[in-house]
Amino acid sequence: MKILIPLKQVPDSTVRVKVAPDGTSIVTEGISWSISPYDEYAIEMALERKDADPTTVVAVVTVGAARSRDALRQALAMGCDEASLITADTAAPLAVARALAKVVDETKPDLVLCGKQASDDDQGFVGPALAELLGWAHVATITKVVPVEGGVELWREVEGGHEVWKAPLPALATVHKSEKEPRYPSLPGIMKAKKKEIPEKALSALGIDASGPTWTILSMEPPPVRGGGKILKDGDAKQIAEQLATALRDEAKVL
Amino acid sequence: MKTLVVAERKGSELRRVTLELAAKARELGDTALVEIAGERYSPLPFVSALAKKVESEKPDLVLLGATLNGRDLGARLAARLGRAYAADVTGLRVAGNALELDKPMYAGKVRAKVRLDLPAVVSVRPGAIPLKGAAEAPQVEKIEADGSAEKLTFVKLAATATGTKRVSLSEARVVVSGGRGLKGPENWHLVEELADALGGAVGASRAVTDAGWRPNEEQVGQTGKTVTPDLYVALGISGAIQHLAGMTSSKVIVAVNKDPDADIFKIADYGIVADVFEFVPAFTEAVKKARA
Ligand SMILES: Cc1cc2nc3c(=O)[nH]c(=O)nc-3n(C[C@H](O)[C@H](O)[C@H](O)COP(=O)(O)OP(=O)(O)OC[C@H]3O[C@@H](n4cnc5c(N)ncnc54)[C@H](O)[C@@H]3O)c2cc1C
Ligand SMILES: Nc1ncnc2c1ncn2[C@@H]1O[C@H](COP(=O)(O)O)[C@@H](O)[C@H]1O
Repeated sequence: MKILIPLKQVPDSTVRVKVAPDGTSIVTEGISWSISPYDEYAIEMALERKDADPTTVVAVVTVGAARSRDALRQALAMGCDEASLITADTAAPLAVARALAKVVDETKPDLVLCGKQASDDDQGFVGPALAELLGWAHVATITKVVPVEGGVELWREVEGGHEVWKAPLPALATVHKSEKEPRYPSLPGIMKAKKKEIPEKALSALGIDASGPTWTILSMEPPPVRGGGKILKDGDAKQIAEQLATALRDEAKVL
Repeated sequence: MKTLVVAERKGSELRRVTLELAAKARELGDTALVEIAGERYSPLPFVSALAKKVESEKPDLVLLGATLNGRDLGARLAARLGRAYAADVTGLRVAGNALELDKPMYAGKVRAKVRLDLPAVVSVRPGAIPLKGAAEAPQVEKIEADGSAEKLTFVKLAATATGTKRVSLSEARVVVSGGRGLKGPENWHLVEELADALGGAVGASRAVTDAGWRPNEEQVGQTGKTVTPDLYVALGISGAIQHLAGMTSSKVIVAVNKDPDADIFKIADYGIVADVFEFVPAFTEAVKKARA
């Protein structure tokens, strides 16, 4: 089975994101970048398939700035087999999906795993849009993929449990979580990844226009800072519990 | 301005978010509500039926709840129609020929205002639009999901043991979350009893869902659910930046942690430096009394 994972490089989850002086972008100077968390889960899910069946080939691709190469390198170090970069400094979400559709047409994966949403724009658009452009069915927010006769079973997390859907191949799913935590790159993995070539093409060279329906950012601000409030500490557990319940009812008015 | 609201039901009742969307749509102008009837949500049959409706009615705006299914359906609908799309917005206004949206980005670490040209598809975070008083029950037109578009086969529903009797986490007005400080799944009755006393939902930190103490669906944070309840109670949670990303917009935050230096206290309105095993049962009793 060949699995393709479109991934996006985003500020690392530990970065304290700051708004830039222009007020419409974030400070990118000096921050660390990572593979978007759900894409990392998708990679782990694919590598777990590869652990079970070593003939599995796992490829990653990204549409992004030149620095995105580091994210691809990280995916290779985790154990992915192939990586390719489509360079574009900005591209509308639908243009990204078009570029990915082209990659799918050329490389013919059996399964495409996207993240359920990228943790920069938090949209969750590109996965379903890619399935739409390909004319494929898709299953959103899965936590498990199981190969079965005639396709794959995709486990979708819903309120109260999992819906299990069977999809014929090729298929696309967006990933919510893998069974295990995403693995760290191993030392031999890192060495191997260093030697791998990452072919690069410009979005325009694919004949894709970077425009499409999108938004214009008017302003950005950090969420209001919450000051630490009161620490209740007078009395024993029972007394403090009663003070708290009273405060929540009479002062905060949330009971 | 013409808006089509996609209605969702939980059981036989319209979801609260649907009422919120209907109220917003009425404020914006012409409003119609449509519900897609099918045994269960699946993208192709739902998007096919909805796209047909949108093409015939030509609303300027399609509004969906940013629920599990609403987000998925909205994304695919926007792609099918080539319309502009914004997911999980927390506010919207009309500005000339466009919408001005409040859009949380970077897992809630930034609040952006964005302009989105019409016609558009937008999903709105549950709880983001305040409902004034009792909402009138809106008229909802039912359309059938287009089963002929289906390419998937439904196999089964594998239910989690915890069941679904409580309110859903992302719509709950009160959320009580437990962290690693609870020590193990066998102690979760403490979290549940407090949640029941408060009439709220149960959440968890990722340390807890990763350990398999609780199902993934209860995880709050950057890679879990974003919640904005009136009251969020964090029990034995340290307050890692990724957890905060999912709950700092709560109206009132209560934290119980035995470490006075825990980061969670930096954002809590009420902090209690205590052992959860001692404090939580006392608090549950106090809540019952205060509400009686
Ligand atoms: C990419 C990425 C995404 C992530 N996404 C999420 C996410 O969505 N949600 C999330 O929660 N985390 C997320 N994390 C993990 C996050 O970094 C933390 O590891 C996690 O939130 C810690 O959970 P915790 O607070 O329960 O555990 P800990 O950090 O171990 O804290 C336990 C707390 O309990 C207190 N305690 C212990 N015993 C008691 C007691 N008897 N009484 C009272 N207090 C006690 C301790 O003082 C401590 O503060 C993510 C991490 C990464 C890298
Ligand atoms: N620029 C990109 N290059 C490759 N894959 C992407 C890109 N943007 C988004 N994706 C994929 O689509 C998912 C959803 O992204 P988004 O629609 O931006 O929230 C991500 O988790 C990735 O799997």
